[in-house]
Amino acid sequence: MPQGTHTLSVPLSIETIWEFVQDMNNWAPLVPGYIEHEILNENESTWAFKGDLGFMKKTVKLKIDIKEWNEPSAVIFDLSGLSDNFKGGGYFKAEKVSDNETLMTGNLDITAGGMMGPMVNQILVKFVPQTATELTEAIVTKLCEDNNVPV
Amino acid sequence: MQNIQWEKEVDVIVLGTGGAALSAAIAAADNGASVLVLEKTHQIGGTTAYSGGVPWVPLNHYMKDQGFSDNREQVIAFIKRLTLGRAEESMIERFVDKGHEIFKFLDEEAQVRFKTPKTYPEYYRNLDEALKDGTRSLDPVPFDLNLIGDWGMHLRQNPIFPPLTLEEGGAIGSIDFTVVAERMQNNIVTMGRSLVGSLFKACLDRGVETLLNIAGKELIMGENGEVIGLIAETSEGEKKYFKANNGVILASGGFEWNKQLTKAFLKMDITHPVSPPGNEGDALMMAMKVGAALDNMSEAWWYPAMVDPTFEYEDNVMAQLGNGRNGPNSIVVNKHGRRFAHEGTTYNDLPRTFFNFDPVNIEFPNEAPVWLIFDQQLKDRELIITMTPGDPAPDWVDQAATLQELAEKVGVNAENLIDEVAKWNGYCEQQEDPDFHRGTIQFENLTGGGGNPEANLGKIEKGPFYALPIYLGALGTNGGPKIDGNGRVINFAGQPIQGLYAAGNASANPLGPIYPSAGGTIGPAMVFGFLAGEHAAKTTLVKSEV
Ligand SMILES: Cc1cc2nc3c(=O)[nH]c(=O)nc-3n(C[C@H](O)[C@H](O)[C@H](O)COP(=O)(O)OP(=O)(O)OC[C@H]3O[C@@H](n4cnc5c(N)ncnc54)[C@H](O)[C@@H]3O)c2cc1C
Repeated sequence: MPQGTHTLSVPLSIETIWEFVQDMNNWAPLVPGYIEHEILNENESTWAFKGDLGFMKKTVKLKIDIKEWNEPSAVIFDLSGLSDNFKGGGYFKAEKVSDNETLMTGNLDITAGGMMGPMVNQILVKFVPQTATELTEAIVTKLCEDNNVPV
Repeated sequence: MQNIQWEKEVDVIVLGTGGAALSAAIAAADNGASVLVLEKTHQIGGTTAYSGGVPWVPLNHYMKDQGFSDNREQVIAFIKRLTLGRAEESMIERFVDKGHEIFKFLDEEAQVRFKTPKTYPEYYRNLDEALKDGTRSLDPVPFDLNLIGDWGMHLRQNPIFPPLTLEEGGAIGSIDFTVVAERMQNNIVTMGRSLVGSLFKACLDRGVETLLNIAGKELIMGENGEVIGLIAETSEGEKKYFKANNGVILASGGFEWNKQLTKAFLKMDITHPVSPPGNEGDALMMAMKVGAALDNMSEAWWYPAMVDPTFEYEDNVMAQLGNGRNGPNSIVVNKHGRRFAHEGTTYNDLPRTFFNFDPVNIEFPNEAPVWLIFDQQLKDRELIITMTPGDPAPDWVDQAATLQELAEKVGVNAENLIDEVAKWNGYCEQQEDPDFHRGTIQFENLTGGGGNPEANLGKIEKGPFYALPIYLGALGTNGGPKIDGNGRVINFAGQPIQGLYAAGNASANPLGPIYPSAGGTIGPAMVFGFLAGEHAAKTTLVKSEV
């Protein structure tokens, strides 16, 4: 099961982080290889992005179903491939350290199915943790920039 | 030329890091030459690493070890049957006589090793002159990439074939994806990557130096008309001058990625090169500039390429091999909705029918894209490009409930398509295709015993119906500077240009416009690359003063 978790300390309050994370439109373009997304309703959205697998790039479409909005500390979601056979899930979690320090964690877990599943999962073993790290870092960078605090 | 600041002086310079180049480097080094290899891209291996890595080598010792017999006269007759008089007999004989010796040497002295893929017969087995039992193709044995250390990271990736050997199904699709996963985890490579890995290891063992991100640009000529060196350019645009005491070997691939050259020389433009970008005809241009004679210029290793537009390789939508055109429940039609050829011929032969000219309507009716038309039965059975049986068809595949609707969707004449499918279904009932003879040739059921009506004729009847475009692709071009039996480039007077050699797709294929079976390109590329390296190392040029 290819998965990755990345935690960073952010010099901002948990409320500021929640404010940003709770609106997908804020961070969608930060997903590595982002092409487009469409919000269908409060919990459902579809996404297209181009994953850089190192030796080639693959455009995928997927659907995200938000399972839990736990203000202010967690967004938990499921994902499933629309263009390809894979599914999984992930979360963003925020943990208060002090009034202006929060630990932010991004997690992604994707497993390919079907005939080619075992092979695709070998590729995802590298790709998924890398994407979880890059996305978490991109969100933290954006949050810090928007709030004028050093990264 | 008096005051050149040489960056480096060696005996032999080799351009490229594919099968032709690395074989040349091994042979040159083994014969005592100091060798410098220059590679234009950031990766080693070229099309060879990206390929099946299979060479075709008549009379090779692996066949004998497996109990298959081969015969010199029969091989020569077979090659001549395919060339239709378009290759020189002396070059055919040179290939047949030297190839097996070179592959024995590579096995014994350089640990570049193969296996006979017993279940993978000769493509033209149905011809009288062909080998009936066994195969002349060779399957690279799996290679542990860790053996070349950090260079392993620079070996070109192969997004086309999973890490299985030819015999394990690497090229035909009946794949055990758990073995694939295990090999990926352990850095075990096969096919083209294995071939390049083992050739490169042999180069490292012989002290051959390789530089990446540097392209050969121009030959430096001495006053006697001999090649004395080379101007190269780094990817940052810096010019460097290299002195070659014995010669320069052009092994830098074909010109399939150079639009100006493909337009100038080929019958139709290759819209979908299947090779990795990098082969832009640099060798051809260098050789033309110094007066090389050219040969085979309108030819390529053709391929009916297909595309899953969600895959990109180095910023281009990746042309893929595709499949589905050999078996039952499919036909290929042109824009008029008409079949125009036996769909299951070899990949090199089918695109040759795209060039047919209709002198009445003044058009090329079969100009690509042509269309693979198939039904749900095929969809349920075979992996087609990347579309796996059982999964819903992706949105880039045109499908419709009726043939009428499908034809309208893709812009093919609907009336003709419906008529053509009805005719095809009738042929399937009578178990014979009088139009194009499906079910009669080896290649259309290659590993299943050869074409027969049961295996190759099946109705297109179960909707939904699907259409996929087939484009004019090529694995590489195979025209270029004409060479002699030692890989020396010949000028228009028929004389060798001293110190200039070419091999592989950078040269005119010594066997002319033929693809005799799996390995038909890498076989001659390695053999004439090796001969060039050997000759260059042993030559003492009559040098002008520099
Ligand atoms: C998917 C696929 C599968 C195939 N399978 C087979 C098979 O199993 N058997 C077979 O016989 N054929 C096969 N082919 C065809 C075969 O791969 C090629 O014809 C063959 O590898 C060409 O070898 P080469 O050494 O001439 O050139 P290449 O392997 O293409 O190497 C040329 C190298 O030169 C470099 N270069 C270009 N310009 C310069 C320059 N100016 N200076 C320095 N370097 C330069 C390129 O970057 C490249 O690395 C396949 C091709 C493809 C695409």
